[in-house]
Amino acid sequence: MAIVRHIAKRPEVGVFRPASSDGVRFGSAALVAPAALFLLITFVYPVGLLLLRSLSFPVWGIQNYAAIVHESLYLRVLANTVVISGVVTLLTLALGYPYAYLMATGSPSVQRLMAFVVLVPFWTSILVRTYAWLVLLQRRGLVNRALEWSGLIAEPLDLVHNRIGVYIGMTQILLPFMVFPLFAVMSRIDRGYLQAAANLGAPPARAFIRVFLPLSLPGVIAGVLLVFILALGYYITPALLGGPGDIMIAQLIQQQIGEFGEWGIGAALAAILLVGTVLLSAVLNRFLKLDRIWGGQA
Amino acid sequence: MNRAVGAAVPAPERPPLARKIDPGRALLTLFCVGVGIFLILPIFIVIPISFSSAQFLQFPPPGWSLQWYQSFFSNHAWINALKTSALVAVPTTILATALGTAAALALIRSTFPGSGLINAVLMAPLIVPVIIAACGIFAVFRFWGLIGTYSGLILAHTALAIPFVVVTVSASLRTVDRRLEQAARGLGASSLVAFRRITLPLILPGVLSGALFALVTSLDEVIVSLFISTAQVRPLAVQMWSDVRGAIDPTIAAISTMLFGFSLVLLLLVSLLRRSSR
Amino acid sequence: MNDAYQFRRFVEQVRSRRRVVQGVGALAGLALAGSSPRLSVAQSTPAATGAFKGRQMTFASWGGAYQDVQKKAFCDPFAAADGVNVLQDGPVDDAKTRAMGESGHSTWDVVDVTDSFLYNASQDGIFEPIDYKVVDRSALIPDYTHDYGVGTIVWSNNIGYNTEVYSPENHPTNWADVFDVKKFPGKRTFPGGSPDVNMEVALMADGVPTDKLYPLDIDRAFAKFDTIKNDVIWWDTNSQSQQLFIDGEVNLGLILNGRAYDAAKKGAPIAVEWNGNIQSVDYFVVPKGAANADVAMAFIQFAGQPAQQAIMANEIAYAPTNPAAIKLVDPKVAPWLSTTPGNREKGILINVAYWRDNLKTVSDRWNQWLMS
Repeated sequence: MAIVRHIAKRPEVGVFRPASSDGVRFGSAALVAPAALFLLITFVYPVGLLLLRSLSFPVWGIQNYAAIVHESLYLRVLANTVVISGVVTLLTLALGYPYAYLMATGSPSVQRLMAFVVLVPFWTSILVRTYAWLVLLQRRGLVNRALEWSGLIAEPLDLVHNRIGVYIGMTQILLPFMVFPLFAVMSRIDRGYLQAAANLGAPPARAFIRVFLPLSLPGVIAGVLLVFILALGYYITPALLGGPGDIMIAQLIQQQIGEFGEWGIGAALAAILLVGTVLLSAVLNRFLKLDRIWGGQA
Repeated sequence: MNRAVGAAVPAPERPPLARKIDPGRALLTLFCVGVGIFLILPIFIVIPISFSSAQFLQFPPPGWSLQWYQSFFSNHAWINALKTSALVAVPTTILATALGTAAALALIRSTFPGSGLINAVLMAPLIVPVIIAACGIFAVFRFWGLIGTYSGLILAHTALAIPFVVVTVSASLRTVDRRLEQAARGLGASSLVAFRRITLPLILPGVLSGALFALVTSLDEVIVSLFISTAQVRPLAVQMWSDVRGAIDPTIAAISTMLFGFSLVLLLLVSLLRRSSR
Repeated sequence: MNDAYQFRRFVEQVRSRRRVVQGVGALAGLALAGSSPRLSVAQSTPAATGAFKGRQMTFASWGGAYQDVQKKAFCDPFAAADGVNVLQDGPVDDAKTRAMGESGHSTWDVVDVTDSFLYNASQDGIFEPIDYKVVDRSALIPDYTHDYGVGTIVWSNNIGYNTEVYSPENHPTNWADVFDVKKFPGKRTFPGGSPDVNMEVALMADGVPTDKLYPLDIDRAFAKFDTIKNDVIWWDTNSQSQQLFIDGEVNLGLILNGRAYDAAKKGAPIAVEWNGNIQSVDYFVVPKGAANADVAMAFIQFAGQPAQQAIMANEIAYAPTNPAAIKLVDPKVAPWLSTTPGNREKGILINVAYWRDNLKTVSDRWNQWLMS
């Protein structure tokens, strides 16, 4: 903080200087230090020690990574995890974007109500929530009975103990992580832009696609990133609502370490997940920076 | 729900564009009602179960009873767990929001060497599978004497919560026109004042979202908490998870119902306060 | 209520009889040690020595109702008898138990672990060897003791069925029936998380005699499971297995005896068949470097006594490893227990050593099979 105040006392930068001065750059860069230091001590150091075991357990070498590459099960589970997480991310985006849009453009009381509703999944313990989904979705469950009663279906649908169950359960719990970043960004978008586009004769749909959508992209990317990464680590929901094929990577890591004491394989799987995700988010970041320039021109 | 949709009729200060009743918006509203129902459907199962007379989770309940609420309030392990969760979640939320917001400011507002690496450090707690995080943190926190302490739980939860704040605040910051802040400083405001008066109000939705996620992370996290808690200092999520071997009884449904009720009361209070302040 | 009350009286009577016998021994010890006569007052529970007065010990288990009963059956009486302050911890997690033992300075002194975890992890040197000078090995069934652990309860994997759909006369009586979708149509349930037990029951269903099961013919077991793959709902947690029966999603399948008992006691229409049951054992272990290993050994000895184990059986239907405890069990609970004479002979004890050596390979194949 002292640094910040010191920098702040320096002679001021002109209003029309587009980029920040060296002083500001240094000052705001220093703001990352507390969080970074905090995480280095409480997270990176302890977890790094453990991840090191992927190279040192049981002996030094890359044998654990070699084992993963050679064992098709691990690769299949990894692929499985990415597919499930990807689909869940798309589903939350498809449901969350319109939801956040209405929330951002509604009156304060609508906003509060919609925020309250989207938070409801957080208040139920994972065990109860899973049970509730089972009651709703199983063959003799409420949804199937309602559909049969209405005459829409003759035979009950298999909505749970398979991939559909996983998607339904995970989408519900992860939706808030899509809606809030979207809302945070959308609520800042000046509706005057849309108005201007309309005044220039653009149909609403076109104005939306050309103006609103690009401006909301930072929220989309934040939401996609959060939901996708969180989904990668899920394991209890898919295990309980899914079918036999819906094994996810976190479950495999848990099994390798807990049951077999295979610290090396478990740590190597985690390291692969970590590196893969960091690369992915770096790509997204790059995409976002490019987009910011493009968006600035709009 | 329907009444809420009625309230979606725009406030007077909205531009005329939104005031017209357009079929697109009606369709959108209908869609969102559907999403809302999807989100709250499970709680409609959970609430009746919490008042069930059955010994196990059974729907529909064969009879009614308050036994699960009694079992919650008469068991000091549950009450202790609730207290622990509150004592851990509040400092976690404050700490993570402060650290995460500052970090997001730095990441979005400046370019500096190694920012990619620092970004990875900030995101790591989100990405590393919890079981790995739990084992690593357990080994080191033991060495530091943090197992079974409030500070241990707060430190670990804060680490897990920081990325949520960074992501949401970053997203908000990207939408803020920097020239506003620069203009304020051009008029003589210090950067701190410019931040507090100009930037912070603009990114507030992002900061609040991040704080909310930090709070929820602290309340919901099971695995890392399981490793660093003891029977004496054990948060609610671990207490709920505790009966892994046996049958789960509807006490956890009662807790869910109470949390839901609490948030409902909060919503109503905020609405009333807003109304009376107008 | 009445049954429980009668049982408690019964236990009290047995205890007071034992107290007389032990009192004599204690008096002899007293005379030898020449210590304060007040010691005899502390002799309210069997095996009381007071040797660890002022000491402390941490007991870690699975939480919930299970640990509540353990506290009542083992910890509280032990604390009263030996003057030890017994702290409770949990729920345990295999990875955490490993981390405890590997650190070499465990804060847990006694941990409840499954047999497969014991056999796997004892190879990695994370447990203290059991001091059989303190623990009386001869009182327990030999199959339930190990160099690094002492069996505390026995549970089994049984054929479970819905009593509203099937009658005592007409229900699945062997694993071949459970695998026969023509004779018993509809969905059935098995545990999906791990291949052990599933492999054994598939082979039994295919006609392999129980004494020829091991080493398992894995190919044959998978081939048997291929025949019912589309008729199975896999369960992942014990409460889920109960739930599937309670909700009528399945009418037959594999369920643990204790879970079936729990559901039946609470009114669910479920019964178990003992033919072809597969038994597993939970062990008490002492992690490497436990600060109070000496107290832990005394605790394990204490917890192996018939009166203690009978409380466990009567309250939560987990079977004793000490055969003398069977006589103290409520006759209403006894039919549900894995070590009750009659039930035990109808099944086999799982070959944990086989699974220690093969679980990883078979597990990978199991996961592959589930995903294909």
